[in-house]
Amino acid sequence: MRQRVMIKVGAPLVLGALALAGCGSSSSGTKSGSGSSSAAGGGGKTFTIACQGPLTGDNAQLGINICDGAKLAIDQANKTGGLPFTLKYNAVDDLGTAAGGPVAAQKIIGDSSVMAVVGPAFSGATQASESFFTQANLASITASATKPSLTDAKNGFKTFFRAVANDNAQGNGAAAYIAAKLKAKKVYSIDDAEAYGQGLSKVFEAALQSKNIPFVHDSVPQGTKQYEPAAGKVVQSGADVVYYSGYYADAGPLLKALKAGGFKGTFMSDDGAKDPNLIKLAGTANAEGTFLTCPCVDAAQNPSSASFVSAYKAAFNADPGTYSAEAYDAANAVISAMKGIGASVDRAKVVDAVRNLDYTGITKTIKFQSSGELASTAVYLYEVKNGAITYLGPVDKLATS
Amino acid sequence: MSNVDATQNGAPRKLAWWRSEPAHRLLTFVLVGLVAAVVTGPEGTQSDYAYGLKQSVLKPRVFIYLALALGLWAAYEFGGRQGWGGHVSDQLKPLRAGLRQRANRRNVRIGYALLAIAAIVLPMGLSSFWQAVLVTEIGLYVLLALGLNVVVGFAGLLDLGYIAFYAIGAYLTAYFTGRLPITPPFQLNPFLILPLAVIAALAAGIILGAPTLRLRGDYLAIVTLGFGEIVYQFALIKTDVTGGSSGAFNIPHFSVNLAGVKYMWGLDPLPYYYLVLGFIILVVILFSRLEHSRVGRAWAAIREDEVAASAMGVWTLKYKLMAFAIGASTSGVAGVIYASNVSTVTPDGFLLQNSIIVLVLVIFGGMGSIWGVLLGAALLQYVPEALRDYVPPSDRFIYFGALLIVMMIFRPEGLLPSRRRKFEFALARTGLVEGDALTEPLGGPVAARSSE
Amino acid sequence: MCFSQNFWPLLVSGVENGAIYALIALGYTLVYGVLQLINFAHSEVFMSGAFGGLFVVQGVLGHSHTPSGLLSVGYIVLGTAAGAAAGGLAAFVLERVAYRPLRRRKAPPLAFLISAIGASFFALNLAGKEFGHNPVPVPALYTDGTVFSVFGAPVRLTYIIVVVAAIAMLIVLDRTIAKTRLGQGIRAVAQDAETASLMGVNIDRVIVATFVIGGMLGGAGGFLYGMAYNVQFNMGFFPGLKAFTAAVLGGIGNVRGAVLGGLMLGIVESLGVACLQVAWRDSISFVILVLVLMFRPTGLLGERLGRSA
Repeated sequence: MRQRVMIKVGAPLVLGALALAGCGSSSSGTKSGSGSSSAAGGGGKTFTIACQGPLTGDNAQLGINICDGAKLAIDQANKTGGLPFTLKYNAVDDLGTAAGGPVAAQKIIGDSSVMAVVGPAFSGATQASESFFTQANLASITASATKPSLTDAKNGFKTFFRAVANDNAQGNGAAAYIAAKLKAKKVYSIDDAEAYGQGLSKVFEAALQSKNIPFVHDSVPQGTKQYEPAAGKVVQSGADVVYYSGYYADAGPLLKALKAGGFKGTFMSDDGAKDPNLIKLAGTANAEGTFLTCPCVDAAQNPSSASFVSAYKAAFNADPGTYSAEAYDAANAVISAMKGIGASVDRAKVVDAVRNLDYTGITKTIKFQSSGELASTAVYLYEVKNGAITYLGPVDKLATS
Repeated sequence: MSNVDATQNGAPRKLAWWRSEPAHRLLTFVLVGLVAAVVTGPEGTQSDYAYGLKQSVLKPRVFIYLALALGLWAAYEFGGRQGWGGHVSDQLKPLRAGLRQRANRRNVRIGYALLAIAAIVLPMGLSSFWQAVLVTEIGLYVLLALGLNVVVGFAGLLDLGYIAFYAIGAYLTAYFTGRLPITPPFQLNPFLILPLAVIAALAAGIILGAPTLRLRGDYLAIVTLGFGEIVYQFALIKTDVTGGSSGAFNIPHFSVNLAGVKYMWGLDPLPYYYLVLGFIILVVILFSRLEHSRVGRAWAAIREDEVAASAMGVWTLKYKLMAFAIGASTSGVAGVIYASNVSTVTPDGFLLQNSIIVLVLVIFGGMGSIWGVLLGAALLQYVPEALRDYVPPSDRFIYFGALLIVMMIFRPEGLLPSRRRKFEFALARTGLVEGDALTEPLGGPVAARSSE
Repeated sequence: MCFSQNFWPLLVSGVENGAIYALIALGYTLVYGVLQLINFAHSEVFMSGAFGGLFVVQGVLGHSHTPSGLLSVGYIVLGTAAGAAAGGLAAFVLERVAYRPLRRRKAPPLAFLISAIGASFFALNLAGKEFGHNPVPVPALYTDGTVFSVFGAPVRLTYIIVVVAAIAMLIVLDRTIAKTRLGQGIRAVAQDAETASLMGVNIDRVIVATFVIGGMLGGAGGFLYGMAYNVQFNMGFFPGLKAFTAAVLGGIGNVRGAVLGGLMLGIVESLGVACLQVAWRDSISFVILVLVLMFRPTGLLGERLGRSA
């Protein structure tokens, strides 16, 4: 009997091992070099752009969106040619947590062919990883970590670049619009108890305070799914505007519960919620009239973004998700920086080239200040009209006009 | 099941071919082959849920898996069954017996010394990635598992909120280095926070344990789980105290400035590895002495039969609390090292999943056995990191899960069970004695006997 | 009190939540009753049920229109049945892969815990790989709206469907355990496996049946939950955790206790979040649990399946 059970289970092991061996040969064989010594590379003509984000766990979808966006940019660059080198892509999982950051960062640095990183995706992981990238003089461009303090000079993150507007721009923009145009009497501000949502709602509430608009703060953890209690509290409070800081996966069900619970006011959310799935999850009728702020220009204003969507679909069998386009831009920006250097790329040159970059992508123009923050942090407003997310314009102009 | 019917009714019955054991095995092999094809196959998509399945099962590559399954099955049915791995442990028996004979006190000491030297020298040759893994993924979790082993393995108390003490250690470090929104009365070097963390985690362990330790097995498990969740939620939601989900950052590294010796830990993982290694060695020495002391025997008595132990004059609550407090303080120390090493503390490092992982490490290694837990924790924490190079990163934990099931079928007692545990386990299996809550087989001893 | 103003609406949503908790809690409690084991992979059984129901409903209905009247009822019954079937199948496979081989080898209970955790890791991540990581709404099967009001609290159709379906399944289960031969077997094994096996009860078969029944209830609950909210690969975790808590609260191993525990937890959570931030919901339920266990160390109704069903 003992044998029998062993065989039952021995088989998958053997199969697994064979399969692993099969995959192993095709996957990127990373060289573990001397590690933290700066500026390796050269010699060979193949360079790697790594992507760091959560690829497992509850937030895996965001990491996958980002890394797929980056991968698409790299594949396209290789295909269209014109590069004096070949690019490789390597996705490294940091689980989206601070604890996973250093290990993922060391993994990336240890591969001496890596010339730049798209990511880390989350602010906590970024905090824990950036010192290593600074030490290795490796440029890292995040498309999604928006905590304002990440670019503080006192952190000493010298190779950190943020290809997305931070929470300050968006929180202030949303508050300005709510004050000037929606003329809210009372705002209900909800965050998702994640780093991004909590950070944004803090900025947003501070902006409301400065405008003397009363508000209620509440926190509903990401992944709650049951939003009836929260919706009940909103209706009870008599607020006429709800601002949700978080992602569409939670904003959709919340919106649905709000409308079902009899909420008549305006629902407003952020770039994490600016996703067609928001309308799907909330229901078309419920989503109508929802405002969304986003530091990204409208896709329709740039012809190349249509081809991005179709190429993404063709490559990954899915629509681009939250941050896919931002990561695509970040990766393309890195590629254009590397292209400018020529054939002899090294990490230090890439950092310099990224610092002096001026690249126009499908969501924004990527040009960095000395702090690593974007030069232009304009925030745009969108509204759900007839079941589609429609572009209204820059929120500052809309609020003052 | 066929073989149960056969054995229960005395004489074996004649069964139709499709109910025979080889046919069952064939089915099992084929199914496992198909599952393997799906697991290694391409990803699905939300526009067509069956896409991934179709791509893995309807494409020619599935034949590779089926052929492998058939081949393995045929090799098993018609080839020599003896060569099938199952007896590796039997073949190792003479070797082990020889080792035991030669294991006099001096040789054991030499063995430990060699082991320690290997642990010190070998990591120097590793890449910094593996060194980082050795610290944050392996070293700290080995420390955690050793601490939980006292609670689960020695005293037989099921604790599912163990990571909370780790969190307490980490947040205490953030507090006393002034990195939390609330300002501390004075700032300290992480080294000086260590004793504070021990005291804080100890106190937390006692506060949690005192009212709950009279609960039995699974009730204790859920209450400790709840404690872990409450600590996590506190860290997440009380932003004005803990910094919320973006946590605390820029926590300083360890440093020494004593009697002319000046050293500062930094980004290089190797010095941290030695720090963790030092604590592991310390903990191993302490706990193995504890195991064979009066306290350790009291724990064993409680674990095996709490009522009898209490009747014999063992003050059970005191010893249970002690186990809880010792486990908690180990976790607190690990938390300080973690905070300082990663220099960032966020609530997402202290999820229920982390508590579960630590428990898995303890049982995987062989609960109650210090060396088993050490080896098991190191091995199991190594697996997901090693898988990075071989499978798509998002699939790592599929393989990890499968490994756990396989391991528990092969060696339910763990990698290196302690001798006492092994004995208890064997006794409970034969049904001679009723084991404790953690060793008794299902349905009581007799049910186990009847299905033999 | 902070909830006195909208007590009734909160109570209504609490009962709805509680009904789902109760359905999942039954899966934990049934398995615990016969095996004295916490089935850690039950949350993935719940998730399988939701996906099973989703696929069948999507396959039959497509994304096109919202049915009405009797047709809606038909779709809901179909989806729930498909969810129950998928959940039952998942539980069956789980028992075969992660429990039976260990039972054969007379493994200690904690080994079962680990293999169940392994199965949970495996199923969770495989579902993420195959079915994506985004949440998916179940196609609208009916037009939701307020049907009637209790003391001014609107009662939505969704609530009624969930609660009615839950009550129907609970009655069927209660009768099955009390009256049928299988139910007798389950109670016998729960009470005394040794004597039961001597009396000719096939323990293996009873255990499989228990897993499948628990899985069907969990799977049906999964579909109902998915219909009210949405379906996602990791959707099982929190409801599973709560249901586990509910089962312990009521007295684990006790069928009626699980129902009582589920309802109580749902209501307490719903009222509790009116006083604190919504985020504290989990903490509220655990504090309640600790308080109850302090005074009744084996839960509200005590623990044996055999005794009270």
